[in-house]
Amino acid sequence: MKNKSLGFYITIITAILAVVGVIFYLINCNTDYFGNLGVNAGVVACMVIAIVLELVYGFGYKASAKIFDLIPLVCGALMMVAFVLFISVRVNGIASILTFENNAQTMADLTSAVVGMVFCFLAVIFNIIGSFFKVGKDEA
Amino acid sequence: MKEKKTKRRLWRGLATTTTSVLALSLSASMIIDTFRTDIDKFLGTQSTQMVTENQSEDDYAFHSDYSSTTELLDAIEDLGERMNEEGSVLLKNENNALPLSEEETQKVTLLGFSSYYPVQGGDFGSTLSVNTGTDADTVDFVQALTAKGYALNPTVSDLYDTLKDEYQSDLISMWGTSEPVNRITAPSIDGTFKSAELSTDTMDATDSTWRDSMNDYNVMIVTLARAAGENKNYMPGEAGVDSEQNLNQADPLGLSDTERAIINAAVEAKASNGGKVIVILNNASAMEIEEIKDNTGVDAILQVGLPGGYGFYGVADVLSGAANPSGHLPDTYAVDNSASPAAQNYGNFAWTNADSAYSINSELVEAESIYTGYKYYETRYADVVMGQGNASDSVGSSTGGAWSYDDEVSYPFGYGLSYTTFEQTLDSLSVNLAERTVTAEVTVTNTGDVAGKDVVQLYVSVPYTDYDRENLVEKAGIQLLDYEKTDELQPGESVTITIEADAQDMTSWDSTASNEAGTTGNYILDAGNYYFTVGNGSHEAMNNVLAAQGYAEADGMTDAGNAANVQTWTLDAMDTTSFAYTENGTAVENQLQDMDLNYYMPGTVTYLTRNDWSGTWPQTYSDLTATDEMIQIMQNDTYEITAQGDPDSITWGADNGLTLAELKGADFDDEQWDSLMDQMNLEDAMIRTGFGGTSTKAIESISSPEVIQNDGPNGINSYTLGQYANTDENSADPYKVSADDPNLNYKFGTMCNETVIASTFSKEMAAEYGAVIGNYSIWSNLTIFWGAGTNLHRTPYNARNHEYYSEDAVLTAYQAASYIAAGKEYGVIIAPKHYAFNDTEINRSGIATFMTEQKARENELRGVQASIEDAQALGVMTTFNRIGCYAGNAHYGLLINILRNEWGFKGLMSEDFIQDANYSVLKEAVHCGVTMTCNTGDSTMEAVSAKWPYWTVDSVSQDATMMQDLKNVMKWQYYAIANSNAMDGLNETSRIVEVRTWYDNALTGVQIVFAVLTIAAIAMYIRSLKKEK
Repeated sequence: MKNKSLGFYITIITAILAVVGVIFYLINCNTDYFGNLGVNAGVVACMVIAIVLELVYGFGYKASAKIFDLIPLVCGALMMVAFVLFISVRVNGIASILTFENNAQTMADLTSAVVGMVFCFLAVIFNIIGSFFKVGKDEA
Repeated sequence: MKEKKTKRRLWRGLATTTTSVLALSLSASMIIDTFRTDIDKFLGTQSTQMVTENQSEDDYAFHSDYSSTTELLDAIEDLGERMNEEGSVLLKNENNALPLSEEETQKVTLLGFSSYYPVQGGDFGSTLSVNTGTDADTVDFVQALTAKGYALNPTVSDLYDTLKDEYQSDLISMWGTSEPVNRITAPSIDGTFKSAELSTDTMDATDSTWRDSMNDYNVMIVTLARAAGENKNYMPGEAGVDSEQNLNQADPLGLSDTERAIINAAVEAKASNGGKVIVILNNASAMEIEEIKDNTGVDAILQVGLPGGYGFYGVADVLSGAANPSGHLPDTYAVDNSASPAAQNYGNFAWTNADSAYSINSELVEAESIYTGYKYYETRYADVVMGQGNASDSVGSSTGGAWSYDDEVSYPFGYGLSYTTFEQTLDSLSVNLAERTVTAEVTVTNTGDVAGKDVVQLYVSVPYTDYDRENLVEKAGIQLLDYEKTDELQPGESVTITIEADAQDMTSWDSTASNEAGTTGNYILDAGNYYFTVGNGSHEAMNNVLAAQGYAEADGMTDAGNAANVQTWTLDAMDTTSFAYTENGTAVENQLQDMDLNYYMPGTVTYLTRNDWSGTWPQTYSDLTATDEMIQIMQNDTYEITAQGDPDSITWGADNGLTLAELKGADFDDEQWDSLMDQMNLEDAMIRTGFGGTSTKAIESISSPEVIQNDGPNGINSYTLGQYANTDENSADPYKVSADDPNLNYKFGTMCNETVIASTFSKEMAAEYGAVIGNYSIWSNLTIFWGAGTNLHRTPYNARNHEYYSEDAVLTAYQAASYIAAGKEYGVIIAPKHYAFNDTEINRSGIATFMTEQKARENELRGVQASIEDAQALGVMTTFNRIGCYAGNAHYGLLINILRNEWGFKGLMSEDFIQDANYSVLKEAVHCGVTMTCNTGDSTMEAVSAKWPYWTVDSVSQDATMMQDLKNVMKWQYYAIANSNAMDGLNETSRIVEVRTWYDNALTGVQIVFAVLTIAAIAMYIRSLKKEK
C-alpha cells in the first residue's frame, strides 16, 4: 500500500460508490413500486464488470502494462450505460410518484432509486477524476 | 520523463472523460426515442408531420365562432365571469344586506387572508393557470374588486400584506418538497388540515388601528377557504385536524378559533360602525357553517366555489347587484359531515393481507347503499315524519340525541337565494313510459322588484313498498329528476317552462328482479303513487310531498310544505319491462354483483336500509382479510393469452389503399372501417394500446395523425394556446395564427371549478363551456380533453371533489352531457372521468371499492350515462381504483357490458396515469375495451414487450379473441379521432413523414464531437507513450 498514490484511493472510492449504487439498484428493484420492473441484467453486468475492473486497476496497476490505462475508459462507458439504463425505465414511475401517486410508501420507494442513481453517477465522476491521477508511485 | 508521464495521465483522463460523455450521448438516443412524445411536447417540437397535397379550407370540417385569438380569449373571460354570476350561491341575506349600494362598494374591508390569497383552482389538477400579458389576464379577488370600482380599506390590506409570512400553508411541489404559499392548501393523503388564519392578537400587535379603520370601511367581507386538489384528502373529524394547533376545530371542514375570531371581529366592529358582515365561502367541499348561519351578526353568506381566473369578476357583480345570484347548492351543507352514513366508511382501511407488489392496499365498503348527500338527509327526515324505520333513533345524530333534520342540515341540496322572489307552480305533469319521459309544465313568476333568473328543480318521490323491503331495494324519499333555468325575468314577468325528463332517472335497480335476458337484475318501477313537485332545493320539495301525503308540522315537519305544488301519478302494477332494454335495445341484467363484498365474503356487510335506520347503520369495515379468491383477482392476471380461435380469420397489414381521412365523419357501421382496420399491422395495434400516454401517436399504415391529450377540467391546461397552433403562413388553415400573436403563451386553466358550473343549474351555461372549449381546441389544435369530472361527491372529504359536479347523479349527468355535446360540435373529444367510483384519493392506485349494484347504477353510473347515450361522448377515462376486486381497467361488466353494450359507447378510452405495468393490466384492459394505457415509450415491440413481457406478437398472434379485441379497440379509437377536429386539414392524400428535430441534430452533433475527441485523446495518449519510449 505504501506504493499507492492518490489515483488508487480515488479508484477504491469509485469502486465503493459503484458497489453502493448497485446495492441500492437491487434494493430498489425489490421495492413495492419499482419491483415490477424487475432486475435489468444489463445494469448489473455493467456495474459488476466495472467494479471488478476498478479493483484490478487499483490493486493490479503496473505502469509498464499500458493495457491498464484502458480500464478507466471502459469503466466510464460501462457505468454510464448502467446509469442510463437505471434511470430510463424509471422516468415514468418517478413522474407518477412525484405527481399522481405521491404518498409515504411511494416516496420511500423513490428514495432508494434516487440514492442508487446518485451513487452510480458519483462513481462515474470519481472514475473520471481518478483517471487523471497516478495509481502507484511507480507511475510517476 | 516525469512530465511525459503527467501528459500520459492527462490524456488518459481526458480520454476517460470523453468516453464517458460519448457513452452518455449514445445512451441518450435510446432515452429520446422512449420519451420522444414528452420531449416534443416540452420543447414544442414535432417528430412526425402530416403532409397533405392540395390542401384547402374544405379540408377543415370544424369551424370556430371567433376570428382571432383575442375574440377567443374574450369569450373565455366573459364566460368565466358569468359562471360565477350564475354559479355563486347566496345562502343567507338578512335584511337584504346584499346587494351593496354604490356607496357601500366604496367602503369595503376585506378580512381573512383568503380574501387576498383565495383558492382559485386545485392544488394539483385543475390548478389555476395565471396569465399575464395576454388579452385575458387572470385576476384574484382584490384585482377583480378593484377593476369593478370597489374601494378597499388600505389599513387592513396593508396589515395583511405586512403579515403575509404569518399565514402560509405547505404546498407539496412537483418534486415532493414542501413549499410555503400564502393561500390555504389541502392536506396530503396522510396529512392533516392546518388552519392558517391570522390570530387577531397578531393583527392587534402589528397595527392596533385596524379595528378602528373599519369605521370608515364598514362593509366587512370575510373570506373563508378550503382548498382542493388531486391526490389530496380531508380526514373526517378531529383526526383530520392538526392536533398541535389547539384551535378548537372539530373537523377540517369546520371552523377554527382563528376563523371564528376574524368573523367575530367583524361582527363586533359592525356593532359600533353600523356596517355589514358578509362571509364569502371559497371552497368546493361543503364546509360546516351552522355557526355562521346562526350568527345574527353575519348578514350574508355567499358561496363562490373555486372561481378560476375570472370568476371573481362575477362575484364582484353579485355583491354589487350588477348581477342577481341564481346559483343553487350542488351539495348538502351538513352540520357535521362526519355524522353521515357514508362518512362511517371513509378513510384508509388496509387489508390485513395487503400486498403492494400487486397494488393490493386497502378497501372501501360503501355500506350506506344509495343514501349519500340529500338522499340520506331527506329520506331519513321523511321517515322521521312518517314514523317509520326507527328514523328518530340517535344513531347518526350529530347532537347525540334523537335524530332531527334541523340539527343535521344547515343548507339543503338545491338551495339558493336571489335578490328577487319567485313563485313556481307545477301546472301539469304526465308520464309516458312508452316514450320514457316525464313531462312537466312549470310557471315561474318573478314576484319581486328586480330582474333575475330562477331554476326549476323537478323532484320525484317514488313509492317504497313491501316488495322493496323484502328485496332490499332502497328508495330515496325525494330525488332530482331534471331541472331547467329560466331566462332573466323582469319583475312581474312569468314564463312557462316545459321539462321533459328521462323517466329512467326515477327507476330503481333491483338485483333480484327477473329480466328480459332471462337472468336477474332489472330497472323497476314499483306500483303506487309517484309524487312530483318543484322547490328551492330538496328539502322544500320533500316538504311539499309530505304535505301532499297528509303530514303537517305537528308530525315533525320543519315547514308546512305546499301540497298544491305536487302532482301525483299512479302506477297500478309493478313495471319491469319499460326499462328492461336500454335505448339501443340491449337487455339489462346484473353486471356488478361482484362489487358487493358479500359476493366474496357472505354476510360481512350490512347495508343501510330505510326500513331500519338504527339497526343497519353502517359499521366501519376495517381490518378485513381478503380471501384467496379475492387475492387471485387482485393480482391482476385475469385474462390468459393463449392459442384459441382461428387466428387466420383476423386480417392485418392488408393493402386496401385507404387513409383515415377518407373516413372523416363516416358512420360507425360504414364497411370501410373494416377495410381500414385491416390495413393496420398487429404490431401497430399492440404498440398503440400499450403506449397511449399523453398523445395518441400517428400510425403510418392508416395515415392517422398524432392527437394531443390534455388534462383539465378547468380548461385545456396541459399546453399553451400556441404550442400546437398552426403558425404556417402558407397553410389553408382558417385558424392559423401569427408567430407573434400576443396570446400564444395563454394557458387555459382558468375556468371555475365544476361545483360552480353545477351550481348554475344551467345546462346552457355548461354547454357554453363546451363551446368555448371546442373553439379553443380548434385554435390550439388540442383535441382530446380529459375534462368532465363525473364522479359524485360521496362525502365532502374527498379533496378532489372540485373536479366533480355534485353529490347528485342527475345534476352531474346533465351538466356533463350538455358540456360534452356542445364541445363535440367543434370536434373536441371531451371525456368523462373517472369511470368509475373514484370516491377517494386515498390509496387510489389499488383501493378496492365495494357497493351494491343498486347504488352503483342509481348514483355514479347514472351520472355518466347521459354523457354516453345523450351526448354521444367519444372519449372516456377509466379510473385508478378497483371495481370491487378487479383493476379499474379489468372489469368486463362495467367497461364492456354496461358502457359499450348497454349505453353504446363507441369512442376511445384511456386509463388514468397508471405507470405500474402489473396494475395497468394491458391485456385485460384491451379485452375490456380500453383503447390505450397512459404509458409512453419507444414505438417498437421491443419496448412494449419489455414493459409487459406477455405482450409479444408471437403470443398474441395465436389468440384470435385478443386479436379481435385489438381490432375492436382500434376501431373505436380511430372512429373517435375520425370524428374529431384532429382530422382538420387532412384529406385522402395525407401521409406521415418523420422529421428530424433540432434536438436530434444536436445529439448527433454531440455524439460526433465526442467520438472525435475520444479518438483524439486516445491518439494523444498513444503519442505520449511513444514519447516516453
